Amino acid sequence: MARRSPRLHPWIDRRGFVGLSLAVAACGPGSGGGGGGRGGPNGDFTYPASDYRSGGGGKRGGTIRIATSTDTGTLDVHAISHGNVQWLGRMLFDNLVYLDATGAISSWIAREWTISPDGLVYTFRLRPGVTFSDGMPLDAEAVRTNLEHMRDPRTKSPLAAAYIAPYVEGRAIDPLTFEARLAYPYAPFLNVLAQSWLGLISPRQIREAPQTIADRPIGSGPFTVERYVRQQGIRLKRRDDYAWAPDVVAHRGAALLDAIEVDIVPEALSRYAGLAQGQYHLLADTPYAKAAAIRADPALVVDSRIRTGLPWRALSFNTERWPFDDVRLRQALALGIDREGITRSVFFDEFLPSDNFLARTTRHYDPSTKGKLPFDPADANRRLDALGWAARDTDGYRTKDGRRLSATLIAQDSPSATPINVAVQSNLKKLGFDLKIELLPTPVLTDRRNRGDYQAVAGGVWHTNTPDALYILHHSNEITSPKRIGQNVSRLRDGRLDDLLERARRTSDDNQQRVLYAAAQHRLIELVPSVPLDENHSLIAYRRELKGLVFDTSHNTPQFLSAWLEPTA
Amino acid sequence: MTLLRTLATRLASGVLVLWIVATLTFGAMHATAGDPAIAILGGPDALPTQAVVEEVRREYGLNDPLPVQYARYLGRLLSGDLGESYRLRTPVTSAILEQLGSTVVLGGIAGVLALAIALGLALVGAGRGPRVGGAITAVEVVITAVPNFVIGVGLMFLLAFQLRLVPVAGEQGWASLVLPVLTLAIPSSIVMAQVLRSELDEVLEQPFILTARARGLGEAGVRVLHALRHAVIPLLTLAGYVFGFLLGGTVITETLFARRGIGRLMVDSALTSDIPMVIGISLFIALSYVLVTLIVDLIAAAVDPRARLA
Repeated sequence: MARRSPRLHPWIDRRGFVGLSLAVAACGPGSGGGGGGRGGPNGDFTYPASDYRSGGGGKRGGTIRIATSTDTGTLDVHAISHGNVQWLGRMLFDNLVYLDATGAISSWIAREWTISPDGLVYTFRLRPGVTFSDGMPLDAEAVRTNLEHMRDPRTKSPLAAAYIAPYVEGRAIDPLTFEARLAYPYAPFLNVLAQSWLGLISPRQIREAPQTIADRPIGSGPFTVERYVRQQGIRLKRRDDYAWAPDVVAHRGAALLDAIEVDIVPEALSRYAGLAQGQYHLLADTPYAKAAAIRADPALVVDSRIRTGLPWRALSFNTERWPFDDVRLRQALALGIDREGITRSVFFDEFLPSDNFLARTTRHYDPSTKGKLPFDPADANRRLDALGWAARDTDGYRTKDGRRLSATLIAQDSPSATPINVAVQSNLKKLGFDLKIELLPTPVLTDRRNRGDYQAVAGGVWHTNTPDALYILHHSNEITSPKRIGQNVSRLRDGRLDDLLERARRTSDDNQQRVLYAAAQHRLIELVPSVPLDENHSLIAYRRELKGLVFDTSHNTPQFLSAWLEPTA
Repeated sequence: MTLLRTLATRLASGVLVLWIVATLTFGAMHATAGDPAIAILGGPDALPTQAVVEEVRREYGLNDPLPVQYARYLGRLLSGDLGESYRLRTPVTSAILEQLGSTVVLGGIAGVLALAIALGLALVGAGRGPRVGGAITAVEVVITAVPNFVIGVGLMFLLAFQLRLVPVAGEQGWASLVLPVLTLAIPSSIVMAQVLRSELDEVLEQPFILTARARGLGEAGVRVLHALRHAVIPLLTLAGYVFGFLLGGTVITETLFARRGIGRLMVDSALTSDIPMVIGISLFIALSYVLVTLIVDLIAAAVDPRARLA
């Protein structure tokens, strides 16, 4: 929910805050030259299928160094929701399935699968000959052990367990056939199985030494952990007998790089300087304030990629409380948010404004929603007048029966989130709406959020590789209660929307899903439980000598299987 | 006998300090950190199932009333157990020990370097009359006023970015120590140099210095052999302050130059409401303060008979 967080959740991309941009601008290698890579002010933000497929070629050998802002704290990917798992997990683990470039399910460790007509039984046929780096076979029993580990309360999973909540039990029909039974039809099951947080760990390690997973996890992926020092970094080395990359990636055999070193570099300025100086080959989380400088350096490339799932929100209304329990007021105010202006002034145009509740890269995104939630302050003012808020007080705010049109926004006290909140406040002030901002420390904010004790809450984003993200954020089952924690922070209860999202979950028919999710997107634009602001970008930067990067179809983050180093002449 | 008794009193008051620190941190963290179960599970946007939340509450005893949790916590402290980090899922003690070496190396080298710079500056600058002295003071004041972070960034851009002499960040060999050590040493050396120089200024006016000069001793000899000995005592009393300054400085230098260490561990833990870790580090820092001041007092008593252990 916050722009900047000490942890990198799947939905919190740390937009590195740079305090001393002047110093950098003055010292940076000044040179013209064409912009490297896609994205930024001139980017088109479309990603051809070739981005997700190895081009072949390249030289074996070499070590690359990556800098990232935060440490995951543990390498047990089932036990965390940290954003770095998106790319880190792919080096160490394999998944049952993978997505193709369009977001449809495609084969990986499972070569094929069938779903029973009632949608309750999934039968996976596994690829033979896959082993973990401790020699254990990746067989049906290994898959079962992993699903059990994810949902075991002792694993304390903040994400994976919820993603497979409908999973009841699994069994090995034969060594290479795994059958999973669900409690109710849940089509996103296959999608979540493709995400890095659900990578497969050696069953022997899970059974015999689960406490060692945090430091030295044993996976079946193209690299193995050689060393992990918390807050310092990770060193990975190639596994020479790896030979089971997803078909979509089209890479045969082992990785090309000998080793990968990941340094944890919290300060954005240090990451940028390290890349420009040549100490690092790639920044996993590039400070957006430095993107223009990096793009101007002919030795460097910036690649800005929109993650699937939900876009960032300017704010979420509490639809259970005055004044935002009135949908007409929410609709009017949403028209007053200048997302183009905010992304330009706060994010230097590095992030694409969004007027939909679903990220444009998500499967079943409906382009016909474009322009349905415009910035139109004149219309907003007309609507507010019509709602009876025509009178103004001495400060210029709207009033009705002597009461000022005002509400309080709770927000995290952070240097990078505050400019957005202030911009939203100023947008609404122009409409005569008095938005007060209450800054809170994260834990207090969490408490207030979970109790539903607010009129509006700032920010928020959710990354997942399925349009079921809409269910996670807007279905009434996902409202936090004493019984469970959910992400529906607008506390929206809409029967029609609930029905659409539930039916989309229950069908595996792609066309039916398309129709249902399109209807849900249009319904959300009518309901405006929140106001979308901009897309959720993964912003990476790398040196030109790093070649052969392929992007992940679930997370749009880089993969290093077919990457190699070509020293510049 | 008096020394032993004083030591015992000192140790007892040290334990009292630790207990107060433990209690205050425990209270402060529980008052502001929200639901610890949620913090353990990754904060505001985690999506834990109810089974997971209940397991965490059970495992950490979070369902018990706060006084019960406090008593259990103190009991564990007495047996030397600082608990398990919420975020890292490892024992707090081993997490601190894992990070300690790096901070000790950084702080130790920076401390020694700072002392050397301070001695050099003071010996050269003392007793040079009001104009030179004023100029030196002005430079010192400016450097003291510049935040550590800015000094670090300045050094980074000069030495790593422009001259490419050392790496920007990380922990690859001795070269990567240069920037953090300088960033930490420069401001601390200035503080020490100021004290040392004003003391030297005073000592150089003393009659015995005149005597030494009259015996034909050169200027360097006068300063190093005679004046310095007297000026060192106030520096000793400053040791506790410098220790704190170095420790506080590691928070910024470790973050800026991507070194692991206690300072960075503290920041990350505080930001993630990692209660056991924050308490553990606070206790650790309090303990080291207690020990440092005790040792400094002992040394001061040995060096200067006038300073008795009180």
